[in-house]
Amino acid sequence: MDVSGILAEQAQRHNAVVVDKDIALEVDLGYLTVTDPNPVDENEYKHDLEAYLQSTARIGAQVLLSALLQCQTRPSADGPLTLLPPPTTLLPRAKPLPVPKPPTKWEQFARAKGIQNRRKDLKEWDEERGEWRARWGHSGKNKEEEGAWLNEVKANADVEADPEKEARAERKARIAKNERQQMQNAARASRGSSERSVQKAEIERTLATTRVSTASMGRFDFKLEGEKKLRGVKRKYDPTERPVEDEKKSSLALISKLDGSTKKTRKDGDAVLNVRKAVRFVSKGKGGVALTREVTLKKGSKTKSEGKR
Amino acid sequence: MLRVVKPRNARSKRALEAREPKEIEDPRTAIFVKGTSTGDKLNAAMKELMALKRPEAISFSKKNTVRPFEDTASLEFWAHKNDASMFVIGQSTKKRPDGLTFVRMYNGKVLDMCEVGVDNFVSMEHFKTKKSTPGHRPLMHFASELFDTHPRLIQLKSLLLDFFGSERLEGVHLSGVEHVISVQLAPTSPELSSTVVDTAVDETKHLPTVHLRTYTVSAMASGTKIPRIELVPMGPSLDLSLRRHQQADPEMLKAALRRPKLKKQDVEKGLGKRKKNVEVDEMGDLRGRLHVGKQNLDKLQTRKMKGLKSARDQDSESDEDLEEQGTKRRKAV
Repeated sequence: MDVSGILAEQAQRHNAVVVDKDIALEVDLGYLTVTDPNPVDENEYKHDLEAYLQSTARIGAQVLLSALLQCQTRPSADGPLTLLPPPTTLLPRAKPLPVPKPPTKWEQFARAKGIQNRRKDLKEWDEERGEWRARWGHSGKNKEEEGAWLNEVKANADVEADPEKEARAERKARIAKNERQQMQNAARASRGSSERSVQKAEIERTLATTRVSTASMGRFDFKLEGEKKLRGVKRKYDPTERPVEDEKKSSLALISKLDGSTKKTRKDGDAVLNVRKAVRFVSKGKGGVALTREVTLKKGSKTKSEGKR
Repeated sequence: MLRVVKPRNARSKRALEAREPKEIEDPRTAIFVKGTSTGDKLNAAMKELMALKRPEAISFSKKNTVRPFEDTASLEFWAHKNDASMFVIGQSTKKRPDGLTFVRMYNGKVLDMCEVGVDNFVSMEHFKTKKSTPGHRPLMHFASELFDTHPRLIQLKSLLLDFFGSERLEGVHLSGVEHVISVQLAPTSPELSSTVVDTAVDETKHLPTVHLRTYTVSAMASGTKIPRIELVPMGPSLDLSLRRHQQADPEMLKAALRRPKLKKQDVEKGLGKRKKNVEVDEMGDLRGRLHVGKQNLDKLQTRKMKGLKSARDQDSESDEDLEEQGTKRRKAV
């Protein structure tokens, strides 16, 4: 049976899909982008521009779609969804990275004390009325006392005492307190970051340095009126006696700092050639071991073929 | 200077929150601005580029006196007002006919700009073929070695990629892939490919023409698993020549390229963060250290000697006379 025809047909089909280029195309699936680093074929470019552009674009699209077809998929309502890996191309952001909100004073306290936040429900069950009522706001439960048809007054109470008014004043005071706290939190959050405060801290630091920068460390300097005494960082001393475990830990930490061979290799930034980067570049990110393996393999195959001859 | 707005109600608060910086950003909105004079060709080019960019595009229908390379104040104002981070500005002058300027913003300030001249424009209407659906993500194709080497073309690639398809997608439906935007260059001139860079000579003269083409994609059965892709010209097609540009300020670019910290699950997958007992050596190779359990030396087989046999010792101590019998018994066992 002659199968050469079938084989030729299969080969033709295969050729229609496979792309043959001198330099492999770079695909960035995250951005659905393909870059063709091959130089432009000048003859074909001049002969028929549109046809040349279309054929190059077709090859690019073919490579990209072939790569897409090899991605993982996930079933979805509209058919299989091809999942994309994160992009490799670096594109600048439009806005800076979001900054986490600074914690409020209560949040700081709660974290220090290990208090878990428990969210209250917006509505509360009212036994008397037999219905759910809002905790606060329109016809809220916190205004119950203010609208009560009867209020208990103690026997020794002032003549002009008005329980309804008092309850309202209390509620308003609570609201005012909360607003004040909110403002303080906002002020605290913006304190460190404002340009003025940063400048102020810098000036204070410079001033403190200059004050102790004389031969007498500022001891015999002329003092200005109202000048405050310099307050530095108070030194803390370790206790003379401490557990053996602590001592062991600190000395081990010191020794590990002295050894630090991994850090040393990173520090030598003076060298002209960044060896690691160069190796990464030459081996196309595979590393030195892979490179040597490749080289030896090539050599091995060469010698073998030579031997056969 | 715009004042900081404090939201008065929940709806405006939500609207303001939507504009706040996000870890994974929305696609860039582009504003199309017409300069003091724009010809028919430029108007049509901008209109069709906008058709490709839709729905993340805003059109300014009136003419504006805008000179992006001289004053960027109005760009910053528009960017803030419209929450947009890209501009396409059309301006046609005698000196620079049919100029399109792509402007990219970062944090309300201009990051970089690139002006191109539209030498040749063929409209979508010219091609009587099927068009892609607005809002569908295009495939991007760049062809030339200069896109990896020449600073001007690296910038152009980055700008065009950001313009057409910078949105981070989790996945795509292959049936929704409808069109390719292809950016290709004319052959590199020998002046440009020479290694000696002469700064005195006007560089833009030697920069190759940029061909921007759009094609619709159709997949044909090939008999193999992978379909054969065929392209049909869709339009618009533009031939562009590079003109003025402004590179990004290095500090600003560094800030703009900052990535968010990796999530815990990504770290577990092996992305980012150093793992224990794994280090990269001087050659950049990853080297791991394995810990095998502690060896049990009690069961170590050393040289066999008669005198070291424990059972024999006991026997000899207990009963010397029965020595021979004991050995026989052991042999039987």
